[in-house]
Amino acid sequence: MGSSAKKKREKKSDFKKTKLKVGKARPKNTNATDTSFAAKSIVLKQQSLSESGRDPSTIFNHNLSLLASKADTQRRDALAWLTNAITAMNAAALPQPPSAILLKAQPLILDGTASVRSQLLKLLRILPVDQLGPLDQVLLYTRAGMSHLSTDIKLSSLDILDWLIEAQPESIVSCAGGWVKTLETFETLLSWNGAKGTTGSLTGDGKWSATKPTVSLGSSKLLVHQLNTLTAFLNAGLVRPERDDNLLAIQAAECWPLWHHQAHLMPTKSNPYGYLNLCGKKRDTESDMYEDPEERQEAFITSGMCRAFVQGVTEAKKEGGEVGRAAAGVAKALQLVVDVG
Amino acid sequence: MKRKLGALEKVDADLPNLQHKLKIDPRSYEQDFVNQYNQYRSLKELFLQSPTTTDDSGIVRLRDLVDFVSHTADCYPKLTTAFASDLVELLDLHHATLDSELRDKLVGALVLLRRKETIDSVQLLDTLWPLLLKTPSKNLRALLFQKILSDLRTANQKATNHKLNRHIQSKCFELIVSDPTSAKGLWAVKLTRELWKRQIWSDAKAVSVMKEAALSQDAKVVTGGVRFFLGGDQEREEAAAEEDTDDEGNIDMGKLRHQAGINKKTGKRANELRTAAAKVKRKEKKKNSPHQLNFSALHLLHDPQGFAEELFQRHLQPAQPKVRLVLEQKLLVLQLVSRLVGLHKLTLEPLYSYFIKFLTPKQPSVTSFLASLAQSAHSLVPPDILEPLVVKIANEFVSEASAGEVASAGLNSIREICARQPLAMSDTLLQDLVQYRKSKDKGVQMAARGLLSLYREVGAELLRKRDRGRDAAMGLRIGEKQTARFGEVGTGEIEGLELLEKWKEEQGIDSEADEEAGWNNWDAESDSDDDGEGWINVESDGEEIDISDSEDEREKKAKAAAKSEPTFEAQQSAGNTPAATTPGSSRATASLEPEAALKREESRISRLATTRILTPADLAKLNELRSTAAITAALPATKRRKLLASQAAAAASRHADDPLTAAQISGLSAHSYKATRQEKIAMAKEGSREEGGNDHRSTTARRKEKKESEGKSTSNKEKERKKNFLMTLGKAKRKGKRSLTQERAILKGHVERRKRGGKRGNKGQ
Repeated sequence: MGSSAKKKREKKSDFKKTKLKVGKARPKNTNATDTSFAAKSIVLKQQSLSESGRDPSTIFNHNLSLLASKADTQRRDALAWLTNAITAMNAAALPQPPSAILLKAQPLILDGTASVRSQLLKLLRILPVDQLGPLDQVLLYTRAGMSHLSTDIKLSSLDILDWLIEAQPESIVSCAGGWVKTLETFETLLSWNGAKGTTGSLTGDGKWSATKPTVSLGSSKLLVHQLNTLTAFLNAGLVRPERDDNLLAIQAAECWPLWHHQAHLMPTKSNPYGYLNLCGKKRDTESDMYEDPEERQEAFITSGMCRAFVQGVTEAKKEGGEVGRAAAGVAKALQLVVDVG
Repeated sequence: MKRKLGALEKVDADLPNLQHKLKIDPRSYEQDFVNQYNQYRSLKELFLQSPTTTDDSGIVRLRDLVDFVSHTADCYPKLTTAFASDLVELLDLHHATLDSELRDKLVGALVLLRRKETIDSVQLLDTLWPLLLKTPSKNLRALLFQKILSDLRTANQKATNHKLNRHIQSKCFELIVSDPTSAKGLWAVKLTRELWKRQIWSDAKAVSVMKEAALSQDAKVVTGGVRFFLGGDQEREEAAAEEDTDDEGNIDMGKLRHQAGINKKTGKRANELRTAAAKVKRKEKKKNSPHQLNFSALHLLHDPQGFAEELFQRHLQPAQPKVRLVLEQKLLVLQLVSRLVGLHKLTLEPLYSYFIKFLTPKQPSVTSFLASLAQSAHSLVPPDILEPLVVKIANEFVSEASAGEVASAGLNSIREICARQPLAMSDTLLQDLVQYRKSKDKGVQMAARGLLSLYREVGAELLRKRDRGRDAAMGLRIGEKQTARFGEVGTGEIEGLELLEKWKEEQGIDSEADEEAGWNNWDAESDSDDDGEGWINVESDGEEIDISDSEDEREKKAKAAAKSEPTFEAQQSAGNTPAATTPGSSRATASLEPEAALKREESRISRLATTRILTPADLAKLNELRSTAAITAALPATKRRKLLASQAAAAASRHADDPLTAAQISGLSAHSYKATRQEKIAMAKEGSREEGGNDHRSTTARRKEKKESEGKSTSNKEKERKKNFLMTLGKAKRKGKRSLTQERAILKGHVERRKRGGKRGNKGQ
């Protein structure tokens, strides 16, 4: 009985007219949809972990993408896998060109984990040297690593630079910004820019200042490494490829009636009159390309770094020991410039 | 094997430490700074190669370096000349793709550079403002807005920075004017409103920005602008009041001094006490300093007539408006238009015919329409425009058949219209409406009575003879009470001046001699510590004034208002009780020759009002006299009527400046039906205890809470009463066995302690 009364009331309520109040907004319809909800989470489907059944190039790409992973162990493992894979395959059969691999791997130069960096060096060493593509990006990362706050990263990026000099000496020193900027980095690292006149003397506002000793208190290992790398770098940049007199004679004989015909041919260099800077912007000496040893030498001298380096080296040589020996190496490399200039 | 790190090497590895050392001795650490700066540059270069990658890989991230350099850049201004522009460029080009944390850090670094005065405010705001408009990120927008606001606040903290303000104001203005259809203008509206609220911008230029917003073609911007005019000033006052009461009474100097006497004395605590004392003193000074005078946005408006016309034509009238407004937004615009018309007494005839189609009980939010209509009526609207509207309201709303609340809303709105323009009513209609005071519904009853009492004041001859009441009938008979004709303006005078003069005569104060004394007295009374002037110097705002007539006039008015700031308030309150004082005094001096009386009155007024300037002391006395006169003049029989009259007068004075709301139109109709259970519960719950709502607790409990909130402890008596019984036992046992000598010593000690004021004495309090 009760339920029937209730049902009756419910039925009645369907036809009841709601009373409208004067001046008030119309009440919401009963069939209005409430849209004021927000999803609190998004559920992802389970990731597939099996590697079987996928073709090797997919796995290769997968590992390559893992280089940007958040977890350092994953990055290290991916590097190790790639190293193994590249040694196993021959260079022609790689699913990705070496330049692409280098592009993915280069941010790891600044990686915080030591094992990742050492693994990275291993990977780089086995990459085919002649297919690395443009190197200015790697050099950029390397320079960032060299001036890093952490000594470990400094050391490992010096290793990378060593590898670069060994692998592609010519393109390293001739790429955009590769010469002057790298030298500047060395200059600040070795604190040789203090040699520009303020060492232990009165500064502009009449106060004494002393430069810090270049050697950090722990060991001179870093310094020695820096000096050695600098030697290699200077040698790569300043040494002229030896002229083969025989070859020249043969060439001259081949086109005998002509003399100095290169001067009248189309230039083989890009932008041959660039040094005149006829209609360009103000020259950015830092990030310019210096393709010839002569040009590099010129830049080295005009920027004033040469003098600073010579002065710094003479200071460093006085320390003797390992540092002195390394500094002697630098001095020998510098001799190339000093002889000419 | 793990290499052991040297101590210094370890320390060098973290940037915050290096930053700290750099700040102490910038010269010695220059080399380290150069290293870090180079590191920053190379990382930035790397970043520019691929801005989308996150910079999370290394130990030291770009954002840490940015943070470091921005903190220390002021130590090496020569090395870091390019730093600020680098950051600006980074933000400008890559704000959409940057990692959010790095992006926020860049913004923060720029603000930091501004605080260290490496860059100036204009430069900073020129970077942040376009970014605010461009960026798609909500978080960044919130951050930028907050930073912009806080920078403007700090720039205006010591003195108003006119140059910066003008720059930003013109940016806001341009933003709205250059593209009226875009919703971006909302940022200009938001900024202006916020700064208006904080009284940083309070000039006509800010108002003109809002004016443009109200006339723009985006619904949100329009409503933002309109809402500002309707509520901006109220918001500003509230904010100011809140600020005053905000940290009031937080510092109890006596308590602090007491604590300082007891606690261990350290340099830090002494400093704290000193700063607290300074703060209290500052607050005291601020309290005593003259109140800053601010004009409302509606008064600062340039060319209100043009503004009202344009608002009406753009948003309300056209069949195909440029911006589609929903009913709620249209109501807001209507409210603003009618407010402008009412306040400035503008002539906008199409507005009234616009109302006609909305005046039916079924129209949603009809009470708001009614309120707007009433608001837009004023004494200079021709009565024959308003009359059809009044008739329509009467026909649609007020009938025996309609519900109580409908009828009362109708009657209330008719009353509000007629209070502003009494000539809009015909006698037959009025007599008909007045009949509703016999209605059984409370709301209708009250509304009809309100209409009746209004017409007793302003147009008694329209009423039936027996409805006129004694005062009105007698006034009519003598001929002093006449309906004001259309366009008639009363002569201005100071209410209650004759009372003051009478008082002076009684006291025998010579007007010449005591003038000086009045000023001096006032100083003594108000114990302000600044010079003896009661005036407030309103600093000119430094804005240029175009020489047009209306502008000029406004300026004059502003100056006058500024000069007589204390007078102004007095006059306002004076306006509340005109009916209470004038009839009484005039009846006392009633003579049968009105002309002679008029002359005498004139001479009397002119003596005081024209010969001297009223001092603040005079005005205070005037106020007091007026209020006492209002009370004493009221005989018990007439008391209620007087009160009613004063209320009506208060209502009349309210019409001038305050908005009329829909709630006032619906009036007492809330009481015309029985409250439901839910409503009763809501009413009981309304307002928590602190806000003075219902408090169902005993008096003792309330007192105790009060005492606790004041930080007072319990009394000795209470402590005695609450003491644990077992603790009192030992003493009670021994008490009976004391020798006489012991008793004497104890009593002596007690007396001595009383004299001293406790065991330690009341020192230090």
